[in-house]
Amino acid sequence: MRRVAALLGKEFADMRQHLTLFLPALLVALISIVIPLMVAVIVPYLTGERLSDSSDFEVALEMYKKQPELRTLDPEGAIQAFIFQYFLVIFTLVPVTVAMSVAAHGIIGEKQARALEPLLATPITTFELLGAKVLAALLPALAITMGTLAIYMLVVATTARPGVFLVLIGPRSIALMFVLGPLAALAALLGAVCVSSRVNDPRTAQQIGAFVILPIAGLFIAQIAGIIELTVPVTLAVAAGLVVVNAGLMWLGIVLFDREAILTRWK
Amino acid sequence: MLSASHLTRRFGERLALDDLSIDLRRGEIFALLGPNGAGKTTTLRLLAGLIAPTSGSVQVNGEAMTPSSASRLRGRIGFLTEAPGLWDTLTVRQNLLVYARLYGLPTPGRAVDDVLKLFEIPDRANDRAAELSKGLKQRVALARSLVHNPRIVLLDEPTSGLDPESAREVRELIVGLRDEGRTVMLCTHNLDEVERVADRVAVLRTRLVAMDTPRALRDRMFPPRIRVTLRQPASSFVDVIRRAGFGNVNADDTVLSVALDGRGPGTPDLVRRLVEAGADIEAVEPEERRLEDVYLKLLHADGSVQ
Repeated sequence: MRRVAALLGKEFADMRQHLTLFLPALLVALISIVIPLMVAVIVPYLTGERLSDSSDFEVALEMYKKQPELRTLDPEGAIQAFIFQYFLVIFTLVPVTVAMSVAAHGIIGEKQARALEPLLATPITTFELLGAKVLAALLPALAITMGTLAIYMLVVATTARPGVFLVLIGPRSIALMFVLGPLAALAALLGAVCVSSRVNDPRTAQQIGAFVILPIAGLFIAQIAGIIELTVPVTLAVAAGLVVVNAGLMWLGIVLFDREAILTRWK
Repeated sequence: MLSASHLTRRFGERLALDDLSIDLRRGEIFALLGPNGAGKTTTLRLLAGLIAPTSGSVQVNGEAMTPSSASRLRGRIGFLTEAPGLWDTLTVRQNLLVYARLYGLPTPGRAVDDVLKLFEIPDRANDRAAELSKGLKQRVALARSLVHNPRIVLLDEPTSGLDPESAREVRELIVGLRDEGRTVMLCTHNLDEVERVADRVAVLRTRLVAMDTPRALRDRMFPPRIRVTLRQPASSFVDVIRRAGFGNVNADDTVLSVALDGRGPGTPDLVRRLVEAGADIEAVEPEERRLEDVYLKLLHADGSVQ
């Protein structure tokens, strides 16, 4: 554990010199906050048109009328809750983006600096090395997600109709942000680890790792189109699928991160 | 201190190292020579416990390197890789501190201070690695490989790409390590460097071609010769010398080159015969063959010479 902590310290010191790594994630976070805020609050306020008067949100209204927790809200609040809650799915891209950038930089950066061989000459085990790399990407990913989520909730609490905020901190959102989000981030991270062992450019690793975004984007679109409703059981089922995917990626990562493969085949 | 017994390593179908047995002694500089792809780096990696042998074994202070002991035994070895591999965004001190912690030193800060002093770079401690010259980076990498005070040090191309002054500094540091009683294995293409610092040399071409002291290898491949510079043409003295029992004699302008086989007459006899024959001798000196000649002859010789 002491060796993992030593390497984590190095990774964080290195990250402080590469703060631009976090720009894509901050951009995603900004979009995730600004777009629902514009749609649910600012545009109706500026145009004077109520969301509940628009035929665009009839489906949303119908769906939310079925949910007991929304019955306390007026139609306008129910549609706002619909918008803010659905954009939470996009929010899961924040940890995914951080994890991909940091992991790709952390592993390919070591390859480019030819720093892995001296590192492997120390008593550190391959598992500790991989563990430190994964944690170094996962911890800031989760920290940034929690930070931006707090801002999101603050925005909802201060700008949306009364009661919308309380709906948003229900079990659905918690499952989405605290279970699905970290698991998606871990999948992206492990994907980046696997890809990083085969490419020499962080951008390539990020581009390949970006395929993780596709299922999340698909989930978002399916939700908006009414094809799927991310209830707690559905979210947990998707999370269970991600656990399986992560286990497979972890196995693949350990195979690819083999000490001998790093020394003899990573060029 | 460090020994290898019948060490063999294959990468798929390719045989990288074949049946190498060596024994490194305390306080010696052991140089590993060989052409590219001869298995030098593979040997260092095997000895450092970075990769496992296909067959054969490595022992560190009598303890066998196994998958379960490798992590611990790596802590007893300092390994300078071919590229410095420093983290550019971190300072010199931060680079060293991470390694001191990875080696589990009880007072990592003090160990870093000590090694900075040893390498005379405390004033560069807070410089980013990216700002350092190539020579200084190599110095820091060497400091990193010694931060845990190992008694065995493996150096892969320590002066590669350095300017002559930096290379000399690194060579002095290597000699200093030997003087402290450490065992140093040096892997290099720089034969001049080996000539200057190595106590023993092994020539490798997948398998061991030869291993001995530079002097013994030189004597084995090129029997000692005496070079006599005269003030008159040397060719007129060739017969005189041959009659005196010196079999292998060459004359070139005013220089006579005479082989000594160690059993027949020696240098005093040679000088006496020449003076008696009227030679005006300007200089008498042993004819030194460079290690490069020895190395090339060894590699081109048929079969291996043990």
